[in-house]
Amino acid sequence: MKFFVYRYNPDVDTAPHMQEYDVEVTRGMMLRDALMEIKRQDESFAFRHSCGEGVCGSDAVNANGKNMLGCTTPVVELKEPVNVRPLPGRPVIRDLVVDMSQFYQQYRAVKPYLIHKDPLPEQEILQSPEDRDKLDGLYECIMCGCCSTSCPSFWWNPDKFHGPQALLQAWRFLADSRDQATEERLDDLEGPYKLFRCHTIMNCVESCPKSLNPTKAIGKIKELMLKHSI
Amino acid sequence: MTLARRRFDALIIGAGGAGLNAALQLANANLRVAVVSKVFPTRSHTVAAQGGVNAALANVFEDNWHWHMFDTVKGSDYLGDQDAIEFMCREAIPTVYELEHNGVPFSRLDNGRIYQRAFGGQSQNFGGAQAARTCAAADRTGHAILHTLYQQNIRARTHFFDEYFGVDLIRDDDGAILGALTLEIETGEPLLIEAKTTLLATGGCGQVFRTTSNAHINTGDGMAMALRAGVPLMDMEFFQFHPTGISGRGMLITEGVRGEGGYLVNKDGERFMERYAPNAKDLASRDVVARAIVTEVKEGRGCGPNADHVLLKVDHLGEDIIAKRLPGIRESSQIFAGVDPAVEPIPVFPTAHYVMGGIPTDRLGHVVIPSSDGSEEIVPGLYAAGECACVSVHGANRLGGNSLLDILVFGRAAGQQIIDHLKDSPEHRPMSDAIIEKAVSRLSRWEQEGEGISVRELRDEFRKVMEDHAGVFRTDEIMSEGVEKVKAVREKLKDVRLGDQSKVFNTARIEALELENLIDIGMSIVLSALERKESRGAHSRPDYTERDDVNWLKHSVYFQEGDRLDYKPVQTKPLTVETFPPKPRVY
Amino acid sequence: MSRQASGLRAWALQRISAAYLGLYLIYMLGHLSFNAPESFEAWRTYVADPGVSIGMLLFVVALLIHAWVGIRDVLIDYVHPIMARVTLLSLFAIGFVGCGLWFAKAIFLASVAA
Repeated sequence: MKFFVYRYNPDVDTAPHMQEYDVEVTRGMMLRDALMEIKRQDESFAFRHSCGEGVCGSDAVNANGKNMLGCTTPVVELKEPVNVRPLPGRPVIRDLVVDMSQFYQQYRAVKPYLIHKDPLPEQEILQSPEDRDKLDGLYECIMCGCCSTSCPSFWWNPDKFHGPQALLQAWRFLADSRDQATEERLDDLEGPYKLFRCHTIMNCVESCPKSLNPTKAIGKIKELMLKHSI
Repeated sequence: MTLARRRFDALIIGAGGAGLNAALQLANANLRVAVVSKVFPTRSHTVAAQGGVNAALANVFEDNWHWHMFDTVKGSDYLGDQDAIEFMCREAIPTVYELEHNGVPFSRLDNGRIYQRAFGGQSQNFGGAQAARTCAAADRTGHAILHTLYQQNIRARTHFFDEYFGVDLIRDDDGAILGALTLEIETGEPLLIEAKTTLLATGGCGQVFRTTSNAHINTGDGMAMALRAGVPLMDMEFFQFHPTGISGRGMLITEGVRGEGGYLVNKDGERFMERYAPNAKDLASRDVVARAIVTEVKEGRGCGPNADHVLLKVDHLGEDIIAKRLPGIRESSQIFAGVDPAVEPIPVFPTAHYVMGGIPTDRLGHVVIPSSDGSEEIVPGLYAAGECACVSVHGANRLGGNSLLDILVFGRAAGQQIIDHLKDSPEHRPMSDAIIEKAVSRLSRWEQEGEGISVRELRDEFRKVMEDHAGVFRTDEIMSEGVEKVKAVREKLKDVRLGDQSKVFNTARIEALELENLIDIGMSIVLSALERKESRGAHSRPDYTERDDVNWLKHSVYFQEGDRLDYKPVQTKPLTVETFPPKPRVY
Repeated sequence: MSRQASGLRAWALQRISAAYLGLYLIYMLGHLSFNAPESFEAWRTYVADPGVSIGMLLFVVALLIHAWVGIRDVLIDYVHPIMARVTLLSLFAIGFVGCGLWFAKAIFLASVAA
């Protein structure tokens, strides 16, 4: 199978280029396996990867124009030749490795941690199964960055727009019955940038390898904001 | 050579559950703490833990920590240190509550309390009915815990060095650890981090085997750093093979699947675990189930065209339970095995999963050098916690749900201990250039250019050797050969050359450093295994089929210098309760 | 008081104005299909009805609010140099206010003439 892979090594290259590789497809081969095979052919090729089972979120890449996890994408589902590029809109460090610091910064900006103000009980804080169900589809995020780096609003304003990943997490805590910082969280999201750059383009939903729905979460935040403002 | 330097009160190498829980204690105590991780923290392999964390909360059935302790001692095949096990099982309860308070989205029971599921090796009342002790967030407990700990560290403003590789510990002439040399992966530049205390929390080393549930990053870096700093590794022959990895690929199918009611069948559709463990059946201890599966396949009762696996049947649980309790497993099975467990059984085979051994520590997290008389010498300034450490609470076999517990309890304990220590030692020890030199030379070695063996070639050869010679069943013949082969691989290491000498994000350089670590650890595994002439827990020898408590109720201690083995007695005396004396281990 | 431009209010106004625009357009299309005025006079009389003229005025206000939020969004997305953005925002603001006044004048004249 033919692969064209984005190559750029700032130590030696002045400009990026696409390099061709031939990979013999084996049964059940995932895109990550193919990239590892390319790395065997050419040790100078760099990409991030780790768990190989879609939970660590390291190996998000853009293949044939779509963001996806290398380790959960069977190569047979990709059209040949496969064009593999780094995640769009992020500065490239080397080959498929991009600088995700703004993405992480936006995550930190939504205070992604439980804030419980009442004294803590000696046992667990109780939560009904129904309330716990509200966190399904939110807490599973693996921070791979597929969503935010496919979001045009994040491309235009990565420094000010939180992006779908961080907003999904903002909702994860707003939706948690144990969290007691709803007002502060909503206040923090006010303004034209942090939340309201979302134009429901929904690239995030399409690219999420865990089938999560940031657009829906953003809608819920807006709804809750409205409710709390009138 | 002028090195960039940073100074911290505490340095933590590794950002999995143990590292992050320790960091959280330290940051909450307003100490200057640096966490070095070769990947962004939420990529650490804790994220992949599925089933849950054990604690006798008694939310489902009656339970108490003493029963948990009994199960753990028995599960360890009596090789676990009973003082540490008592400490862990007691601490489990507040630890889980603390996690919940920190925000972990545990699944819930109707009364609002944390959901607990049954796991292998758990019993009520010292070997009675099945217990349900594993606190779970669906089948993504590790993910939920790791993310929560990272989130709390964001709140506590812990200082992270993301994508920095730990090269070597810096050790002075008195044997004290003064910090570590690290490599910033993005720039390829070394950075020396000076610290009054250093905690190794680098996790496991499953990458020594070719088929493993472990991630690409699990290369035992901390263990190898300890070895090179003169610290031994303990009980390295005990490597757990998880019974249910996806056949041919190694991805894990949690024991929680069997906890929820799934069971194993061979090609005749027989529930074969009934023969091997008449009481606990599919929820027998992991070593027992793994051996049963390998035996079934060896004796020709495997499934599939190559008769090389067995099947894990789940569909009878119904769509609802599967969707609610095992959503991640369903996803993994569909992606990697091409089967929907709600309809078809999952093809499984044991996969290298967890190392019970590691850097010897006491129950407070101090790294210690044990001697055969049972005494221990503390290595000043060095701590270890998590899978890279050996306290030892898992002994010869770890129970499911006890690894998350181990990293959390002992990560926390190490953090607390470091806080105490720092109160009395406000100064950094002086660091001379001479003692840094050794660590720096480890980096410069890879700057040699020219023709040689490639990292990939030697890594493939090494991992194959380990799989063939240190697997589920081990005979003297197989392992003697294994030792020779690993020695040969170690010899070849000096002929390995790095073709790519560039600086920026050179993953080939990292893989070369990791290969050195893997080989150092591989040697400790095969040598310790060859010498232990008994079958105990995960260490199973067809030529010595019985457990031998007279001669072998002791920990193996491997020193790299001279490939020397020593032994240390098992601590059979708990802290407050009566000793659990060794008994035949039946499930 | 926040230092920033509105987020929630702008968004809510855009939704509310959109709802009004939508409903009004349906009504208008219906009216014009079944009851189209046949001459300029008839049209003027129709518009002069206070109900109709207020409805139309509201329509224009809603349209301009909707357009303002939309244009503001586009400029925030794509025009990053601050001077260029302020200039463009001002031009659109002036243009929109102008359109509004011009339309108000037309309706006022229609009412006066009737």
